[in-house]
Amino acid sequence: MVPDQILETLMARYQAGDFSAATALIHRISPQLHRFFVAQFASREDADDLLQETWLRIHKVRHTYRPGEPVLPWFYAIARHVRVDHYRRAVRTSAREQQLDDFSGLAAKFPADAAEPDAFETLLAPLPESQREVIEMLKVGGMSLEEVARATSSSVGSVKQKVHRAYKKLRETITSRGLAKAQRGGLP
Amino acid sequence: MKDREIDDLLEKAARAPQGVNPELLERVAATIRPSLQPVRPLPATWILAAGLVLICAAVALAGAARAGFYGIAKMDLFERLLIFAALAVFALVAAVQFVGELIPGSRRRVSPGVLLGFGSLALLGVFGLLFRDYHTDQFVHAGLVCLFAGVFHAIPAGLVCWWLLRRGFAVNSVAAGFVGGTLAGLAGVTLLELHCANFEALHILVWHTAVVPVSAAIGALVAWALHFRASHRSSLRAKL
Repeated sequence: MVPDQILETLMARYQAGDFSAATALIHRISPQLHRFFVAQFASREDADDLLQETWLRIHKVRHTYRPGEPVLPWFYAIARHVRVDHYRRAVRTSAREQQLDDFSGLAAKFPADAAEPDAFETLLAPLPESQREVIEMLKVGGMSLEEVARATSSSVGSVKQKVHRAYKKLRETITSRGLAKAQRGGLP
Repeated sequence: MKDREIDDLLEKAARAPQGVNPELLERVAATIRPSLQPVRPLPATWILAAGLVLICAAVALAGAARAGFYGIAKMDLFERLLIFAALAVFALVAAVQFVGELIPGSRRRVSPGVLLGFGSLALLGVFGLLFRDYHTDQFVHAGLVCLFAGVFHAIPAGLVCWWLLRRGFAVNSVAAGFVGGTLAGLAGVTLLELHCANFEALHILVWHTAVVPVSAAIGALVAWALHFRASHRSSLRAKL
């Protein structure tokens, strides 16, 4: 059985009230959802909270999955909704409590602290959020363009465009990083 | 650097393991266990979409039955066929889209804005083709009466449609409200076509068609307000 079919079977059993299927799904899907949250520059603690919140939401709306439909876009669409909601709430709270002007500026500080220069999250750091999530779904989630389009409520054409722009930006960043390294290496 | 090399770099980085705290996973499993009962998946899209179209048709027919079928009585067969076929196709597309908005991970064929734009343009095209009397009489007054009547009927249609899809889950509530409003607005336009005997071209082009965008805007606004309230409440709960 291919992984998608396994997930579909587990999902159907989860809907039928099978606790072992629910546990299996939690263990299979959580690592990539967690990574999805970390890639969006959430701290690991935030990612843990978001993961927990996502599973509660998934549990609440599990009847909206229909057997035969792709499973991953369904999971990611809900995870994406939870993340957006979380940041909106965080922005409101921060605005009230700290009078922060721009939350995205705060979020963008994360990659500077990242220790691993070739870590996935660091590589994606220069990309805007919409491109980052698409690359993350394709590479970590292993989803097809069609599935990413479903998860992000957009068209396949729009996903392709985002991937194209992301690769262009990554190419520029990696090339300039390589040049900077070479220059540093050339210094006595 | 070629795309293939970037691909390799990303795939290599993505393969690096990143575990999740097993205690967290156990906690999640333990949290959902007490409420793990069998659930009935939502019906197929076509069933729900057909239900939504029927609701809109029923609201329009009920409204026209109360107010009178003067509009359709004045139309010839060709006008009836073209107008109601256009409304039916627009309503069916909007219904499928509305169902998709309430099921996470659904395929989105068109964006809500494109749906409204193309649908309204199609209606304008049909109305423009059929009605050529450009004389106007009490343009604003008669128009506002029709606009209010259309929106007044769109509201119950929207509420009943929302009730039908109450088990759905909107990942983008504003988009869902917008599409739901568009669909409900079509119930309003259908009522006007059944009832309104004012065949002045500008009256129909402006005021009848306007019911759809006005209703879509109301739907989006209501959905935004409800989502904001729910989100505000949950952040207050989290604070406590």
